[in-house]
Amino acid sequence: MNNPIEVNDLSYQYENNSPVLLKKVNLTVSKGEILAIVGLSGIGKSTLCYCLSGIIPHVYGGVMAGDVLLNGTNTKKMTLPQIATTLGIVFQNPDNQLFSPSVEDEIAFGPENLCVPQGEIKTRINEVLATVGMESFRHAGPHHLSGGQKQLIALASVLSLKPDIIIYDEAMSQIDAAGKVMIKEMLLKLKSEGKTAVMVEHDFDNLDIADRVMMLKNGTLVPYEGALT
Amino acid sequence: MILATDLDPRAKLFFVLVISSLAVFLQNTFLLLLVFIVCLGAVAATGGSLGNMLKKFRKFFGIFIAVVLLQSIFTQQGQAILQLGDITLLTDFGLIRGMQTILRFLIIIASALVMTTSNSREIIQGLVQWKIPFEIAFMVSIAIRFLPLLREEATDMLTAIQLRGVNLKKIPLLKRIKMYSYLLLPLISSVMVKAQELSVAMEMRAFRAYPQRTSLRVLQLGRADYLVMVLCTLFFLTVMVLYLMLI
Repeated sequence: MNNPIEVNDLSYQYENNSPVLLKKVNLTVSKGEILAIVGLSGIGKSTLCYCLSGIIPHVYGGVMAGDVLLNGTNTKKMTLPQIATTLGIVFQNPDNQLFSPSVEDEIAFGPENLCVPQGEIKTRINEVLATVGMESFRHAGPHHLSGGQKQLIALASVLSLKPDIIIYDEAMSQIDAAGKVMIKEMLLKLKSEGKTAVMVEHDFDNLDIADRVMMLKNGTLVPYEGALT
Repeated sequence: MILATDLDPRAKLFFVLVISSLAVFLQNTFLLLLVFIVCLGAVAATGGSLGNMLKKFRKFFGIFIAVVLLQSIFTQQGQAILQLGDITLLTDFGLIRGMQTILRFLIIIASALVMTTSNSREIIQGLVQWKIPFEIAFMVSIAIRFLPLLREEATDMLTAIQLRGVNLKKIPLLKRIKMYSYLLLPLISSVMVKAQELSVAMEMRAFRAYPQRTSLRVLQLGRADYLVMVLCTLFFLTVMVLYLMLI
């Protein structure tokens, strides 16, 4: 059986003459695992997230070498809609990923794009709202919610596409302690459902839920041994 | 009473389209006044707050005065009402033209207020069901959605400048304009970053995956919607006939 994520000799630079951010990165993430990636600011953690999620090379250009396999399929050979149903990504700033007037519209956006029938969309909205415990906010405006709640809605809108893998690109960086607890509980709940998660973090307090912690240093991933430098 | 919130957004769009078209086309002050009164009546009848509307109009009061004066100064026709030496400040013709322009503003603002009773997703769906491509309808909605964020961003930057000891209210106008120009580049850069992040988030949720898409909401025109559209059409035809008879 294929691993959810396999990275083989991944190298990347944004332009030909720009620094090489990722240098022959190798990584395997097992099913149901929560992997945390730490590293100094500007070291390329978000770039690695973009590579894992197919945003590179499908949205951003640049010079990419090596392969990223999601459930055994190379992201270069997958279309973005195929990737979207395999992997979901929650970004750092919830305000730039929520754009609908109500929570249910926000969650419905992905399934609507994938031509999911109306009845099934309603079922999925009910399911993911129950998963993130936000049923009572169904008709609320996403922009009136707290930071933690916004991130939960961003997560719910990703979960409505039923991905097996979820990536959190510093998704807890802009939320308060209560919000962090909400998100961490959610990650553990999703893990118990067999979902795989990669969380990019700079706050070490959030690493307690990770099964494994890797550090991005000088463009490569190494096991984290208690110090960033 | 038909509440605006109960109406299909397409019925409201039709109303706005009819009223705005009349506002732009008509050159008769009395007919413009009639359209404005009917528009106010329609807003009140559909549950809109006339008080809120008047508050909104108050913000434009200065602009209205400026419009009347500019129309008078640059319109050479008519009898002078107010003169400063050789310069005519106010003419009766200019005053009428100015009033017509103000009425047009008021009609368009008042009619557009009806649309605020629908949320942006409903309006997009209405446009899509009118065969307007989803991408275009969505783009308009996103632009409207992000305008307040831009204003917040600009306000934050201005606050940052003031916190560095610059008192914007006390510096001369030219310097102040120069100071505002410093905001332009970071503001554009911030907008570009926001747009890029938003587009990536949308792409990762399968935006434009297929030429067609399904929808959680499907709008259906009801009796009240048809009634509103018929009344709008009748009103449009009546006013146009009256206008043609008057010219």
